[in-house]
Amino acid sequence: MAVEAAPQSRGASIEIEHLDKYFGAVRAVDDVSLSIAAGEFIALLGPSGSGKSTILMSLAGFERPTGGRILIDGQDCTYLPPYKRNIGMVFQHYTLFPHLSVMDNVAFPLKMRGISKAERRRQAEAALETVRLAGYGQRMPKQLSGGQQQRVALARAIVYRPRVLLMDEPLSALDKNLREEMQLEIKRLHSELGLTVVFVTHDQSEALTMADRIAILKSGRLQQVSPARELYERPSNLFTASFIGEMNMLPAEWDGRTASLPGGGVMEVGAKSMIDPVGPGKSVLAIRPERLSIAAPDSAGSWPATVCDVIYAGAGTLVIAEMPGGTEVRVRLPSNAVGSLSRGEAIGLTCPPDAALLYSAEQAT
Amino acid sequence: MSAAGFFEADGRRLSRGGIMLLMAPFFALILFAFLYPLLSLISISFLEPAPTLDNYQRVFENPVYARVLMRTLRIAVLVTLLSLALSFPVALAMAHARGPKAVFLAACVLLPFWSSVLVRTAAWAVLLQRNGLINQGLQAIGLTSEPLRLLYTQGAVVIAMTHVLMPFMVLPIYGALRNIPPDYGRAAAICGAGPLRAFWEVTLPIAMPGVIGGSILVFLTALGFFITPALLGSPQEMMIATLISQQMREILDWPFAAALVGVLTLFVTAVTLAFSRVFRFDRMMGGHT
Amino acid sequence: MNARTLLLNAYVYAVLAFILVPILIILPMAFSETQYLTFPPQGFTLRWFEEFFNNRRWMDATWFSLRIAALTAVSTAIIGTMATYALVRGAGSLGTIFQALLIGPIVVPHIALAVALYLFFQQSGLSGTTIGYVLAHTIIALPFTVFTVSAALSSVDPALEDAAMSCGATRFTAFRLITLPIILPNVISGALFAFIISFDEPVIAFFLAGIRDKTLPRMMFDDIEQNLTPVIPAIAVLLTVLSISVLLGAAILRRIAARNAVTVDT
Repeated sequence: MAVEAAPQSRGASIEIEHLDKYFGAVRAVDDVSLSIAAGEFIALLGPSGSGKSTILMSLAGFERPTGGRILIDGQDCTYLPPYKRNIGMVFQHYTLFPHLSVMDNVAFPLKMRGISKAERRRQAEAALETVRLAGYGQRMPKQLSGGQQQRVALARAIVYRPRVLLMDEPLSALDKNLREEMQLEIKRLHSELGLTVVFVTHDQSEALTMADRIAILKSGRLQQVSPARELYERPSNLFTASFIGEMNMLPAEWDGRTASLPGGGVMEVGAKSMIDPVGPGKSVLAIRPERLSIAAPDSAGSWPATVCDVIYAGAGTLVIAEMPGGTEVRVRLPSNAVGSLSRGEAIGLTCPPDAALLYSAEQAT
Repeated sequence: MSAAGFFEADGRRLSRGGIMLLMAPFFALILFAFLYPLLSLISISFLEPAPTLDNYQRVFENPVYARVLMRTLRIAVLVTLLSLALSFPVALAMAHARGPKAVFLAACVLLPFWSSVLVRTAAWAVLLQRNGLINQGLQAIGLTSEPLRLLYTQGAVVIAMTHVLMPFMVLPIYGALRNIPPDYGRAAAICGAGPLRAFWEVTLPIAMPGVIGGSILVFLTALGFFITPALLGSPQEMMIATLISQQMREILDWPFAAALVGVLTLFVTAVTLAFSRVFRFDRMMGGHT
Repeated sequence: MNARTLLLNAYVYAVLAFILVPILIILPMAFSETQYLTFPPQGFTLRWFEEFFNNRRWMDATWFSLRIAALTAVSTAIIGTMATYALVRGAGSLGTIFQALLIGPIVVPHIALAVALYLFFQQSGLSGTTIGYVLAHTIIALPFTVFTVSAALSSVDPALEDAAMSCGATRFTAFRLITLPIILPNVISGALFAFIISFDEPVIAFFLAGIRDKTLPRMMFDDIEQNLTPVIPAIAVLLTVLSISVLLGAAILRRIAARNAVTVDT
């Protein structure tokens, strides 16, 4: 019998309000506000030093915020010590207690809650079963593989059925295959148990595949909070656009109706292609490499370019081209759609109108 | 802040109050039973019989006491050099040894640590006595026709002190040397350095922090050594520790004994401060870095 | 093996002989029938062990020393572990002062401390008391215990306590149930270290002792100074047996510690 998951959502909602955290003069978290719905799986994604771990540690109670509030299910717990928060947490390096057996590790939170020995045993066994480690209870952590240790850590975090599960780059110590397996495992646990998950990672594909919504952070500031698809297709600013996936950033002159590229290319841009209104002037046209196609040079509506390199990679082929003025453009095509292209060849680039996004160039700095 | 939050005032680190609380017994002990007694003893040397520097004048100007100071310095330097000469090759052999040989060498070097200072001093008394093993040996090989007076000499003190203090020299040097990967020698050889040159250019500089640390530790300990000079030395050739003991227990000249303690303590503190950069305790125990 | 390594080896073994011979040579003399110490020992007798065990003054001194050493071991382990824990968990400037003060008892000669404590204990009525000895011995043993404990503590991942707290443990519970059990072997071996240092401490005992409160080292000192009877080798034999068993115990504990050690791969 696994941990009995209540059918209805058991997760707690989390409100982060104007969170600030200074380390000396360094502002690690800068006015971050974020609402996380009950039962939601949210990933905090960003480069190192972006403040994602500090936010997580503030949620866990290991960091005391300099300003702002943290509400869990409406209860203010900004300054509550960690052991009073009833939050489950999985750490980067498993952090299993080395001197305790797997069973004692998993039962530890129950022991802290004064649950009787027999009941502790029963619930710990159920939790181990949930992470598919039934029968491993008598082993010591050292006798387990990395993936198994992380499952034990997971079992320990969920054994007392917390309503929030925090995960601090929990898969970064695992190799690629194990990581993918654990990603699915964590997703399954999330939907089975219905708890709210806050997951810190610096691996964007991990964030995109696992999370309901992804919060992008840069230098302590929240950049965007969106589901994966929106994040990829409509990044709200230039940082997110370049941080997630591959993106061509073409400098353009925007007159309110059309964007002119160096070398004479012109594109009409509708309101749908702007996340925020962009005033006339210097701007950036952002286009995913897979949305561009190659046409004959000088064909109608195409932009002139010269092939610099053709890189064949099985199913897909990457064409690197240069526009007049030196802007590099990457085009990803299915390999069977690429004819014979040679270095130095003149080509035309075409792009459907809905594939381009226009940003003000001032943002770039 | 709630009382429960006392230990986690700033998240994962201990709060200032928590740290003070945890360190309080240590600081109380050091203040109560170390700093206060030492300072109040030394203050006697300045204040009795009246506020004065006479006690210190006596230490340095009376030729008898000045000679004790010089002798103490000389013996300490001699013991340090002798320890260094005996220890360095042993430390080198320890750093190079692998397997059972490494265990054997380490056991030999550590054994003195675990045997009583008094027992070792007694052993030297037996070895050096008139009909002791060393005299027997010297007579047997015909170096001398009648037993030499070995016990109650400076030589006896130097040898026995070296024996007692040597492990404090071996460990820091070994600690420094064992960080040398075996490739160093080969790398030096490839670069064209002969074995002596490689030793001089590579091994010695790496061993230097250990050599300096060990030398200071042995030197400082030798300066204030009491047991060995008291049991194996001649009463006519006192060291500062035996002089302090005599002044305090037999002559009962407290202010003067206090002045001697003051000279010894201040000198030792000055040397420690001067070498504080290289003199690190964890190194003394043969630890890394 | 060339001539140079041969020479080096010969030198090393000569030095090892210098270290070992005096320590080993005294042991067989414990069984000699002669009244004085001589080598090689003559005959075989256990008389000197009897002398030791049946002499009230030797026994009193031994028990007194054992009591002091045991109390020193306990107080050193507690005070040392508390301070080291604070040090390793980020004591800041207080930690710097702590480390500077810790060097004190190592470099300040024991004779200086002994004389200072003699005076201080007379003023404060601590002379001749067990607690006086324990205070003095705790001071000189602390650096060694702190070193042993800090080696273990700094290898314990602090995230383990975080994990325990996220499981609902208070800081103190996290220390008691997680950190302490992991470092316990080192705490105990640090305490054993302190025990040996106290039990074998001759200088402070020499100055503090009155007529009734002589420690074993003080009794040994008097014996060596006055007539050097074979009781000393007999004690040496007993001490060697004690040391070896303590050392073996400590080695076993270290092995347990190594087995439990956490490797943090960052």
